[in-house]
Amino acid sequence: MGLFVFLPLVLPLSAWPVARLAELHLHPRTATRLLTWVAAVMAGCSTLCLALLVVVGTAQLPGNPLPDGWAGPEVRAAVPRDGVAGRAAIPALGLVAAACGRTLWRHGRVTRRARRALTGLRGAPVAVLPDATPYAYALPGTPGRIVVTTALLGGLAPAERRALFAHERAHLAARHHRHLLAVHLAARANPFLRPLRSAVVYTAERWADEEAARAVGDRRVVARAIGKAALLSSAAPTPTLAALAATGPVPRRVAALLAPAPAGRRWPPVFTAVGAAVWGAAAGAVASAMSSANSAVTLFLILHTATPL
Amino acid sequence: MTTPHRRARRRQGELEGQVLGALREADGPVTAAWVQERLGGDLAYTTVVTILTRLLAKDVVSRERRGRSFVWTPTADVARLAALRMRRLLDGERDREAVLTSFVTALPPDDEQVLRALLETADAQGPTERTSCGNTEPTAADGGTEH
Repeated sequence: MGLFVFLPLVLPLSAWPVARLAELHLHPRTATRLLTWVAAVMAGCSTLCLALLVVVGTAQLPGNPLPDGWAGPEVRAAVPRDGVAGRAAIPALGLVAAACGRTLWRHGRVTRRARRALTGLRGAPVAVLPDATPYAYALPGTPGRIVVTTALLGGLAPAERRALFAHERAHLAARHHRHLLAVHLAARANPFLRPLRSAVVYTAERWADEEAARAVGDRRVVARAIGKAALLSSAAPTPTLAALAATGPVPRRVAALLAPAPAGRRWPPVFTAVGAAVWGAAAGAVASAMSSANSAVTLFLILHTATPL
Repeated sequence: MTTPHRRARRRQGELEGQVLGALREADGPVTAAWVQERLGGDLAYTTVVTILTRLLAKDVVSRERRGRSFVWTPTADVARLAALRMRRLLDGERDREAVLTSFVTALPPDDEQVLRALLETADAQGPTERTSCGNTEPTAADGGTEH
Protein backbone atom coordinates (compact mmCIF):
# COMPACT_ATOMS: atom_id res chain seq x y z
CA MET A 1 0.00 0.00 0.00
CA GLY A 2 1.30 3.40 0.90
CA LEU A 3 1.49 6.54 -1.12
CA PHE A 4 0.21 4.98 -4.30
CA VAL A 5 -3.38 5.59 -3.21
CA PHE A 6 -2.71 9.25 -3.91
CA LEU A 7 -1.51 8.55 -7.45
CA PRO A 8 -4.79 9.39 -9.22
CA LEU A 9 -4.49 12.92 -7.87
CA VAL A 10 -1.07 13.62 -9.38
CA LEU A 11 -0.87 11.29 -12.39
CA PRO A 12 -2.64 13.85 -14.62
CA LEU A 13 0.75 15.58 -14.65
CA SER A 14 1.95 12.77 -16.89
CA ALA A 15 -0.54 13.81 -19.55
CA TRP A 16 1.24 17.07 -20.30
CA PRO A 17 3.81 15.70 -22.77
CA VAL A 18 1.07 13.65 -24.40
CA ALA A 19 -1.09 16.71 -24.89
CA ARG A 20 1.81 18.55 -26.46
CA LEU A 21 2.87 15.72 -28.76
CA ALA A 22 -0.65 14.74 -29.81
CA GLU A 23 -1.38 18.37 -30.63
CA LEU A 24 1.71 18.54 -32.84
CA HIS A 25 1.86 15.16 -34.49
CA LEU A 26 -1.51 13.42 -34.59
CA HIS A 27 -4.39 14.12 -36.93
CA PRO A 28 -6.56 16.65 -35.07
CA ARG A 29 -9.50 14.24 -35.04
CA THR A 30 -7.48 11.49 -33.37
CA ALA A 31 -5.84 13.97 -31.00
CA THR A 32 -9.19 15.46 -29.92
CA ARG A 33 -10.71 12.07 -29.20
CA LEU A 34 -7.63 10.63 -27.47
CA LEU A 35 -7.05 13.66 -25.26
CA THR A 36 -10.74 13.95 -24.34
CA TRP A 37 -10.83 10.33 -23.22
CA VAL A 38 -7.58 10.58 -21.28
CA ALA A 39 -8.83 13.74 -19.56
CA ALA A 40 -12.21 12.18 -18.72
CA VAL A 41 -10.69 8.97 -17.29
CA MET A 42 -8.12 10.84 -15.26
CA ALA A 43 -10.65 13.34 -13.93
CA GLY A 44 -13.01 10.50 -13.00
CA CYS A 45 -10.28 8.59 -11.14
CA SER A 46 -9.04 11.68 -9.39
CA THR A 47 -12.53 12.56 -8.15
CA LEU A 48 -13.22 8.96 -7.09
CA CYS A 49 -9.94 8.97 -5.19
CA LEU A 50 -10.91 12.18 -3.38
CA ALA A 51 -14.31 10.74 -2.47
CA LEU A 52 -12.77 7.53 -1.09
CA LEU A 53 -10.21 9.47 0.92
CA VAL A 54 -13.03 11.47 2.45
CA VAL A 55 -14.82 8.26 3.44
CA VAL A 56 -11.75 6.49 4.83
CA GLY A 57 -10.31 9.48 6.59
CA THR A 58 -13.39 10.78 8.29
CA ALA A 59 -15.97 8.01 8.76
CA GLN A 60 -14.83 7.40 12.37
CA LEU A 61 -14.66 11.01 13.39
CA PRO A 62 -17.33 11.91 15.94
CA GLY A 63 -20.37 13.50 14.37
CA ASN A 64 -19.77 12.01 10.93
CA PRO A 65 -22.95 10.42 9.56
CA LEU A 66 -21.06 7.66 7.68
CA PRO A 67 -21.05 4.17 9.32
CA ASP A 68 -17.90 3.60 11.41
CA GLY A 69 -17.28 0.28 9.65
CA TRP A 70 -16.46 2.23 6.47
CA ALA A 71 -13.17 3.24 8.01
CA GLY A 72 -12.07 0.20 10.00
CA PRO A 73 -8.44 -0.12 11.10
CA GLU A 74 -7.52 -2.31 8.09
CA VAL A 75 -8.86 0.27 5.69
CA ARG A 76 -7.15 3.13 7.41
CA ALA A 77 -3.89 1.20 7.42
CA ALA A 78 -3.99 1.35 3.63
CA VAL A 79 -3.98 5.13 3.58
CA PRO A 80 -0.92 6.96 4.95
CA ARG A 81 -1.89 9.78 7.32
CA ASP A 82 -5.55 8.92 6.82
CA GLY A 83 -6.80 11.59 9.20
CA VAL A 84 -5.00 14.47 7.52
CA ALA A 85 -5.68 13.16 4.01
CA GLY A 86 -9.36 12.67 4.78
CA ARG A 87 -9.78 16.12 6.27
CA ALA A 88 -7.93 17.73 3.38
CA ALA A 89 -9.99 15.79 0.88
CA ILE A 90 -13.30 17.18 2.18
CA PRO A 91 -12.81 20.79 1.03
CA ALA A 92 -11.07 19.57 -2.13
CA LEU A 93 -14.06 17.42 -3.05
CA GLY A 94 -16.37 20.31 -2.20
CA LEU A 95 -14.42 22.61 -4.49
CA VAL A 96 -14.50 20.08 -7.32
CA ALA A 97 -18.25 19.62 -6.97
CA ALA A 98 -18.86 23.37 -6.84
CA ALA A 99 -16.59 24.11 -9.81
CA CYS A 100 -18.12 21.37 -11.96
CA GLY A 101 -21.63 22.39 -10.98
CA ARG A 102 -20.88 25.97 -11.86
CA THR A 103 -19.43 25.00 -15.23
CA LEU A 104 -22.52 22.91 -16.06
CA TRP A 105 -24.86 25.65 -14.92
CA ARG A 106 -23.08 28.29 -17.01
CA HIS A 107 -23.04 25.94 -19.97
CA GLY A 108 -26.82 25.60 -19.78
CA ARG A 109 -27.23 29.31 -19.22
CA VAL A 110 -25.15 30.36 -22.24
CA THR A 111 -26.98 27.86 -24.45
CA ARG A 112 -30.40 29.08 -23.30
CA ARG A 113 -29.50 32.74 -23.64
CA ALA A 114 -28.05 32.23 -27.11
CA ARG A 115 -31.17 30.35 -28.19
CA ARG A 116 -33.39 33.04 -26.75
CA ALA A 117 -31.35 35.72 -28.51
CA LEU A 118 -32.09 34.08 -31.84
CA THR A 119 -35.84 33.53 -31.33
CA GLY A 120 -37.85 35.17 -34.05
CA LEU A 121 -35.19 34.50 -36.68
CA ARG A 122 -36.87 31.74 -38.57
CA GLY A 123 -35.83 28.92 -40.76
CA ALA A 124 -32.33 28.65 -41.98
CA PRO A 125 -29.61 27.02 -39.88
CA VAL A 126 -27.51 30.11 -40.52
CA ALA A 127 -28.40 33.26 -38.59
CA VAL A 128 -26.85 36.33 -40.18
CA LEU A 129 -26.88 39.19 -37.68
CA PRO A 130 -26.45 42.81 -38.68
CA ASP A 131 -23.61 43.83 -36.39
CA ALA A 132 -20.44 45.86 -36.83
CA THR A 133 -18.43 43.41 -34.72
CA PRO A 134 -17.07 40.52 -36.77
CA TYR A 135 -17.70 37.15 -35.13
CA ALA A 136 -18.95 33.67 -35.99
CA TYR A 137 -20.13 30.95 -33.65
CA ALA A 138 -21.48 27.44 -33.87
CA LEU A 139 -24.39 27.09 -31.47
CA PRO A 140 -24.92 23.40 -30.63
CA GLY A 141 -28.36 21.84 -30.37
CA THR A 142 -30.90 20.03 -32.51
CA PRO A 143 -30.71 21.50 -35.02
CA GLY A 144 -27.50 23.40 -34.39
CA ARG A 145 -27.18 26.91 -35.70
CA ILE A 146 -24.41 28.98 -37.16
CA VAL A 147 -24.33 32.59 -36.03
CA VAL A 148 -22.36 35.02 -38.13
CA THR A 149 -22.36 38.80 -38.40
CA THR A 150 -22.56 40.89 -41.54
CA ALA A 151 -19.26 42.55 -40.57
CA LEU A 152 -17.42 39.23 -40.80
CA LEU A 153 -19.15 38.06 -43.99
CA GLY A 154 -18.43 41.42 -45.59
CA GLY A 155 -14.71 41.00 -44.99
CA LEU A 156 -14.49 37.61 -46.68
CA ALA A 157 -14.48 36.58 -50.33
CA PRO A 158 -17.20 34.12 -51.44
CA ALA A 159 -14.89 31.07 -51.28
CA GLU A 160 -13.72 32.12 -47.83
CA ARG A 161 -17.32 32.39 -46.65
CA ARG A 162 -17.89 28.84 -47.80
CA ALA A 163 -14.83 27.83 -45.78
CA LEU A 164 -16.22 29.62 -42.73
CA PHE A 165 -19.58 27.85 -43.00
CA ALA A 166 -17.90 24.49 -43.63
CA HIS A 167 -15.82 25.02 -40.49
CA GLU A 168 -18.84 25.81 -38.33
CA ARG A 169 -20.86 22.96 -39.82
CA ALA A 170 -17.98 20.60 -38.97
CA HIS A 171 -18.18 21.75 -35.32
CA LEU A 172 -21.89 21.00 -35.26
CA ALA A 173 -21.73 17.70 -37.15
CA ALA A 174 -18.93 16.26 -35.01
CA ARG A 175 -20.55 17.63 -31.83
CA HIS A 176 -17.34 19.27 -30.68
CA HIS A 177 -19.15 20.96 -27.83
CA ARG A 178 -19.34 17.59 -26.06
CA HIS A 179 -15.58 17.15 -26.19
CA LEU A 180 -15.13 20.72 -25.00
CA LEU A 181 -17.57 20.36 -22.13
CA ALA A 182 -15.87 17.11 -21.07
CA VAL A 183 -12.40 18.67 -20.94
CA HIS A 184 -13.69 21.81 -19.24
CA LEU A 185 -15.24 19.65 -16.52
CA ALA A 186 -12.07 17.55 -16.29
CA ALA A 187 -9.95 20.67 -15.84
CA ARG A 188 -12.27 21.74 -13.02
CA ALA A 189 -12.03 18.31 -11.38
CA ASN A 190 -8.23 18.35 -11.37
CA PRO A 191 -6.27 21.52 -12.22
CA PHE A 192 -3.38 19.39 -13.50
CA LEU A 193 -5.60 18.58 -16.48
CA ARG A 194 -5.73 22.18 -17.68
CA PRO A 195 -3.09 21.68 -20.42
CA LEU A 196 -5.33 18.93 -21.83
CA ARG A 197 -8.20 21.38 -21.95
CA SER A 198 -6.17 23.95 -23.91
CA ALA A 199 -4.92 21.19 -26.20
CA VAL A 200 -8.43 19.95 -26.98
CA VAL A 201 -9.74 23.49 -27.53
CA TYR A 202 -7.00 23.85 -30.14
CA THR A 203 -7.28 20.41 -31.78
CA ALA A 204 -11.08 20.74 -32.09
CA GLU A 205 -10.55 23.95 -34.08
CA ARG A 206 -7.90 22.22 -36.19
CA TRP A 207 -10.30 19.32 -36.77
CA ALA A 208 -12.96 21.72 -38.05
CA ASP A 209 -10.33 23.47 -40.17
CA GLU A 210 -9.33 20.19 -41.81
CA GLU A 211 -12.98 19.29 -42.46
CA ALA A 212 -13.49 22.72 -44.00
CA ALA A 213 -10.41 22.26 -46.18
CA ARG A 214 -11.84 18.95 -47.35
CA ALA A 215 -15.26 20.47 -48.07
CA VAL A 216 -13.90 23.50 -49.91
CA GLY A 217 -11.15 21.53 -51.64
CA ASP A 218 -8.46 24.15 -51.07
CA ARG A 219 -6.44 24.40 -47.89
CA ARG A 220 -5.23 27.89 -48.66
CA VAL A 221 -8.75 29.31 -48.90
CA VAL A 222 -9.47 28.09 -45.36
CA ALA A 223 -6.15 29.47 -44.14
CA ARG A 224 -6.95 32.84 -45.67
CA ALA A 225 -10.48 32.84 -44.22
CA ILE A 226 -9.15 32.21 -40.72
CA GLY A 227 -6.40 34.78 -41.11
CA LYS A 228 -8.68 37.48 -42.46
CA ALA A 229 -11.33 36.80 -39.79
CA ALA A 230 -8.72 37.06 -37.04
CA LEU A 231 -7.35 40.33 -38.43
CA LEU A 232 -10.88 41.73 -38.75
CA SER A 233 -11.68 40.71 -35.18
CA SER A 234 -8.51 42.21 -33.77
CA ALA A 235 -9.49 45.54 -35.29
CA ALA A 236 -13.02 45.26 -33.88
CA PRO A 237 -14.23 48.25 -31.89
CA THR A 238 -15.37 46.35 -28.78
CA PRO A 239 -12.46 45.15 -26.70
CA THR A 240 -14.70 42.92 -24.58
CA LEU A 241 -15.06 40.31 -27.27
CA ALA A 242 -11.34 40.16 -27.86
CA ALA A 243 -10.12 40.46 -24.28
CA LEU A 244 -10.88 36.83 -23.56
CA ALA A 245 -8.29 34.69 -25.20
CA ALA A 246 -4.79 35.16 -23.90
CA THR A 247 -2.85 32.94 -26.25
CA GLY A 248 -3.06 33.09 -29.99
CA PRO A 249 -3.61 29.73 -31.64
CA VAL A 250 -4.67 31.40 -34.89
CA PRO A 251 -1.24 31.68 -36.58
CA ARG A 252 -0.57 28.02 -35.74
CA ARG A 253 -3.85 27.02 -37.38
CA VAL A 254 -3.06 29.05 -40.48
CA ALA A 255 0.46 27.64 -40.67
CA ALA A 256 -0.92 24.11 -40.32
CA LEU A 257 -3.30 24.71 -43.21
CA LEU A 258 -0.53 26.08 -45.38
CA ALA A 259 1.42 22.89 -44.72
CA PRO A 260 0.39 19.58 -46.34
CA ALA A 261 -2.65 17.83 -44.89
CA PRO A 262 -1.98 15.58 -41.90
CA ALA A 263 -2.23 11.86 -42.50
CA GLY A 264 -5.73 10.68 -41.78
CA ARG A 265 -5.94 7.42 -39.93
CA ARG A 266 -2.29 6.47 -39.65
CA TRP A 267 -0.23 7.17 -36.59
CA PRO A 268 3.40 7.99 -37.31
CA PRO A 269 5.55 4.82 -37.60
CA VAL A 270 7.22 3.76 -34.34
CA PHE A 271 10.77 3.76 -35.65
CA THR A 272 11.04 7.46 -36.43
CA ALA A 273 11.95 10.08 -33.84
CA VAL A 274 8.47 11.62 -33.91
CA GLY A 275 6.80 8.25 -33.97
CA ALA A 276 8.74 6.98 -31.00
CA ALA A 277 7.91 10.12 -29.05
CA VAL A 278 4.21 9.98 -29.87
CA TRP A 279 3.87 6.27 -29.20
CA GLY A 280 5.93 6.52 -26.04
CA ALA A 281 3.87 9.41 -24.76
CA ALA A 282 0.60 7.72 -25.69
CA ALA A 283 1.69 4.52 -23.95
CA GLY A 284 2.68 6.60 -20.94
CA ALA A 285 -0.71 8.29 -20.89
CA VAL A 286 -2.56 5.01 -21.13
CA ALA A 287 -0.31 3.49 -18.45
CA SER A 288 -0.89 6.36 -16.08
CA ALA A 289 -4.63 6.36 -16.79
CA MET A 290 -4.67 2.62 -16.05
CA SER A 291 -2.62 2.97 -12.92
CA SER A 292 -4.80 5.87 -11.89
CA ALA A 293 -7.86 3.68 -12.38
CA ASN A 294 -6.09 0.80 -10.65
CA SER A 295 -5.34 2.88 -7.55
CA ALA A 296 -8.90 4.15 -7.36
CA VAL A 297 -10.35 0.66 -7.81
CA THR A 298 -7.96 -0.87 -5.25
CA LEU A 299 -8.92 1.72 -2.70
CA PHE A 300 -12.55 0.98 -3.47
CA LEU A 301 -12.02 -2.79 -3.11
CA ILE A 302 -10.23 -2.43 0.23
CA LEU A 303 -13.15 -0.42 1.41
CA HIS A 304 -15.58 -2.96 0.05
CA THR A 305 -13.95 -6.02 1.66
CA ALA A 306 -13.51 -4.29 4.99
CA THR A 307 -17.12 -3.22 5.07
CA PRO A 308 -19.92 -5.57 6.09
CA LEU A 309 -22.19 -4.12 3.41
CA MET B 1 -33.88 28.60 -12.69
CA THR B 2 -37.35 27.18 -12.19
CA THR B 3 -39.21 26.01 -15.24
CA PRO B 4 -42.10 28.50 -15.19
CA HIS B 5 -39.62 31.34 -14.77
CA ARG B 6 -37.56 30.11 -17.70
CA ARG B 7 -40.65 29.72 -19.80
CA ALA B 8 -41.69 33.27 -18.97
CA ARG B 9 -38.26 34.56 -19.99
CA ARG B 10 -38.34 32.67 -23.26
CA ARG B 11 -41.85 33.91 -23.89
CA GLN B 12 -40.68 37.44 -23.38
CA GLY B 13 -37.91 36.90 -25.93
CA GLU B 14 -40.43 35.63 -28.46
CA LEU B 15 -42.84 38.43 -27.69
CA GLU B 16 -40.21 41.08 -28.34
CA GLY B 17 -39.74 39.59 -31.78
CA GLN B 18 -43.49 39.40 -32.43
CA VAL B 19 -44.16 42.97 -31.29
CA LEU B 20 -41.31 44.27 -33.41
CA GLY B 21 -42.60 42.22 -36.34
CA ALA B 22 -46.09 43.72 -35.92
CA LEU B 23 -44.70 47.25 -35.79
CA ARG B 24 -42.80 46.64 -39.01
CA GLU B 25 -46.00 45.54 -40.74
CA ALA B 26 -47.73 48.79 -39.83
CA ASP B 27 -47.92 51.60 -42.39
CA GLY B 28 -46.74 54.24 -39.96
CA PRO B 29 -46.51 55.03 -36.26
CA VAL B 30 -49.12 53.02 -34.33
CA THR B 31 -50.41 52.81 -30.77
CA ALA B 32 -49.87 49.97 -28.32
CA ALA B 33 -53.57 49.14 -28.66
CA TRP B 34 -53.04 48.61 -32.39
CA VAL B 35 -50.18 46.22 -31.69
CA GLN B 36 -52.29 44.36 -29.13
CA GLU B 37 -55.11 43.93 -31.62
CA ARG B 38 -52.69 42.90 -34.34
CA LEU B 39 -51.14 40.15 -32.21
CA GLY B 40 -54.52 38.64 -31.28
CA GLY B 41 -56.51 38.65 -28.10
CA ASP B 42 -54.54 36.71 -25.46
CA LEU B 43 -52.02 39.46 -24.70
CA ALA B 44 -52.78 42.01 -22.00
CA TYR B 45 -52.46 45.66 -22.95
CA THR B 46 -49.95 46.20 -20.13
CA THR B 47 -47.82 43.35 -21.44
CA VAL B 48 -47.64 44.96 -24.85
CA VAL B 49 -46.64 48.28 -23.29
CA THR B 50 -43.98 46.53 -21.19
CA ILE B 51 -42.52 44.82 -24.25
CA LEU B 52 -42.57 48.09 -26.21
CA THR B 53 -40.74 49.83 -23.36
CA ARG B 54 -38.09 47.09 -23.34
CA LEU B 55 -37.65 47.48 -27.08
CA LEU B 56 -37.30 51.22 -26.57
CA ALA B 57 -34.52 50.60 -24.05
CA LYS B 58 -32.78 48.44 -26.65
CA ASP B 59 -33.10 51.27 -29.16
CA VAL B 60 -34.91 49.21 -31.78
CA VAL B 61 -38.15 51.25 -31.59
CA SER B 62 -38.86 54.92 -31.09
CA ARG B 63 -41.97 56.63 -29.73
CA GLU B 64 -43.59 60.04 -29.83
CA ARG B 65 -46.45 61.45 -27.88
CA ARG B 66 -49.69 61.81 -29.77
CA GLY B 67 -52.57 63.13 -27.68
CA ARG B 68 -52.76 61.21 -24.41
CA SER B 69 -50.78 58.13 -25.54
CA PHE B 70 -47.62 57.23 -27.44
CA VAL B 71 -47.30 56.05 -31.01
CA TRP B 72 -44.47 53.64 -31.81
CA THR B 73 -42.22 53.24 -34.85
CA PRO B 74 -39.67 50.46 -35.48
CA THR B 75 -36.10 51.63 -36.04
CA ALA B 76 -34.62 48.17 -36.63
CA ASP B 77 -35.71 44.73 -37.78
CA VAL B 78 -35.91 41.38 -35.99
CA ALA B 79 -32.38 40.42 -37.05
CA ARG B 80 -31.02 43.60 -35.48
CA LEU B 81 -32.83 42.77 -32.25
CA ALA B 82 -31.27 39.28 -32.30
CA ALA B 83 -27.86 40.83 -32.95
CA LEU B 84 -28.26 43.13 -29.93
CA ARG B 85 -29.26 40.23 -27.69
CA MET B 86 -26.36 38.12 -28.94
CA ARG B 87 -23.88 40.92 -28.32
CA ARG B 88 -25.14 41.37 -24.79
CA LEU B 89 -24.66 37.64 -24.23
CA LEU B 90 -21.15 37.60 -25.70
CA ASP B 91 -20.05 40.65 -23.76
CA GLY B 92 -21.49 39.35 -20.51
CA GLU B 93 -20.53 35.69 -20.36
CA ARG B 94 -17.01 34.71 -19.48
CA ASP B 95 -17.42 30.95 -19.63
CA ARG B 96 -19.07 30.83 -23.00
CA GLU B 97 -16.14 29.16 -24.73
CA ALA B 98 -17.27 25.71 -23.65
CA VAL B 99 -20.54 26.19 -25.50
CA LEU B 100 -19.88 28.51 -28.38
CA THR B 101 -16.92 27.55 -30.48
CA SER B 102 -15.69 30.75 -32.00
CA PHE B 103 -14.28 30.80 -35.52
CA VAL B 104 -11.23 32.73 -34.37
CA THR B 105 -9.89 33.82 -31.03
CA ALA B 106 -8.36 37.18 -30.30
CA LEU B 107 -4.99 38.04 -31.73
CA PRO B 108 -2.14 39.34 -29.56
CA PRO B 109 -0.06 42.02 -31.35
CA ASP B 110 2.88 39.69 -31.99
CA ASP B 111 0.62 37.09 -33.54
CA GLU B 112 -0.79 39.72 -35.85
CA GLN B 113 2.65 40.21 -37.42
CA VAL B 114 3.17 36.46 -37.81
CA LEU B 115 -0.28 36.05 -39.30
CA ARG B 116 0.19 38.82 -41.84
CA ALA B 117 3.49 37.24 -42.90
CA LEU B 118 1.81 33.84 -43.26
CA LEU B 119 -1.00 35.25 -45.35
CA GLU B 120 1.49 37.00 -47.62
CA THR B 121 3.25 33.67 -48.14
CA ALA B 122 -0.08 32.06 -48.95
CA ASP B 123 -0.88 34.77 -51.49
CA ALA B 124 2.61 34.57 -53.00
CA GLN B 125 2.17 30.87 -53.65
CA GLY B 126 -0.64 31.80 -55.99
CA PRO B 127 -4.16 30.41 -56.15
CA THR B 128 -3.65 27.90 -58.96
CA GLU B 129 -1.34 25.20 -57.64
CA ARG B 130 -4.04 23.41 -55.71
CA THR B 131 -2.80 19.88 -56.08
CA SER B 132 0.45 20.64 -54.26
CA CYS B 133 -1.52 21.02 -51.04
CA GLY B 134 -2.12 17.30 -50.89
CA ASN B 135 -5.82 17.65 -50.17
CA THR B 136 -6.71 14.33 -51.75
CA GLU B 137 -5.26 12.34 -48.88
CA PRO B 138 -7.53 13.55 -46.07
CA THR B 139 -10.55 13.12 -48.32
CA ALA B 140 -9.91 9.43 -48.60
CA ALA B 141 -8.87 9.06 -44.99
CA ASP B 142 -11.69 11.08 -43.45
CA GLY B 143 -14.38 9.37 -45.47
CA GLY B 144 -13.64 6.09 -43.77
CA THR B 145 -13.99 7.22 -40.19
CA GLU B 146 -17.00 9.50 -40.42
CA HIS B 147 -19.74 8.34 -38.10
